[in-house]
Amino acid sequence: MAEDQQRAREARGPGEWVLLCYRVPREPSTPRIAVWRKLKRLGVAQISDGLVALPADARTQEQLEWIADEAIEAGGTGAIWLARPATLAQERELAQSMADARAAEYKAVAKAAGEAAAAGTGTASVVRRLRAELRRIGRRDFFPPPERDRANAAVRSLADETSLSDAVAMQPGPPEKEQA
Amino acid sequence: MKWATRARIHIDRAACAWLIDRHIDQDADFVFVTDPVLVPEDATPFDMRGVELGHHGGDCSFETILRRYRLMDPVLWKLAEIVHEADLDDERYDAPEAPGLDAVLRGLSMTCDDNRILELSGPMFDGLYEYYRRATLMGREPA
Repeated sequence: MAEDQQRAREARGPGEWVLLCYRVPREPSTPRIAVWRKLKRLGVAQISDGLVALPADARTQEQLEWIADEAIEAGGTGAIWLARPATLAQERELAQSMADARAAEYKAVAKAAGEAAAAGTGTASVVRRLRAELRRIGRRDFFPPPERDRANAAVRSLADETSLSDAVAMQPGPPEKEQA
Repeated sequence: MKWATRARIHIDRAACAWLIDRHIDQDADFVFVTDPVLVPEDATPFDMRGVELGHHGGDCSFETILRRYRLMDPVLWKLAEIVHEADLDDERYDAPEAPGLDAVLRGLSMTCDDNRILELSGPMFDGLYEYYRRATLMGREPA
């Protein structure tokens, strides 16, 4: 987490979080999985089974509200709460768990970029896929870890090499698998 | 007719208001509320939790309104793909326009009130509609 950002948060005391308390029936599994995928995509912090959290803003609250409705439509329950962690330590722990999850995702991108660069398999389409992945991670990254800058740098350098080698050789790379 | 939606509008509500105003109700009057209980009795709520004209089955409210009012215009459905991706960003559609439109509307929500956003976004959606109407007619990107 960026230090000045963390200091600014701490000076204000614990911030407001939006919580989704939900339950989706185990069967049928399709709506249950759909809800789970959406929560994962939003980068929520899992507080306990059926309780997830995001830092509160107009957007995060709305996104969780629609998921609450989806859980209800699937025959389950969904309630939205606005709350503050009682202590800074508790908030820090929550933020850290989210930062750690994003860090792992950034690391995977940096690794893929590094491997493509080392193997000389960096093509425009590999770069495009990694950039899209970075954008996806960025949207759910509320407490950017240092790994973000490293992943950005790795993809940027792969892009530079790729455009350079494209200009020199126009050599097609091996066929790439499109990411689902 | 009176239509009500949540205050602090963003892409889906701005697009729905445009759709209602241009294609459903020429005399549409919009009310913005901060809580669902504040929706006036004579108003039709949209893009709010638990209402008919909201998100359903993976659709955003713009798509729900198109379905509910049986609007089959392919140009409106093209706009629906963009609004869907700008709002939900779930990669159901390929809409590279969406992140740009999302940024524009988010920026407007920081500098303008809801009525002003509708004033500004109305002509923008008119223009987008015209652009995709021509694209549909020509079968390729218009000039």
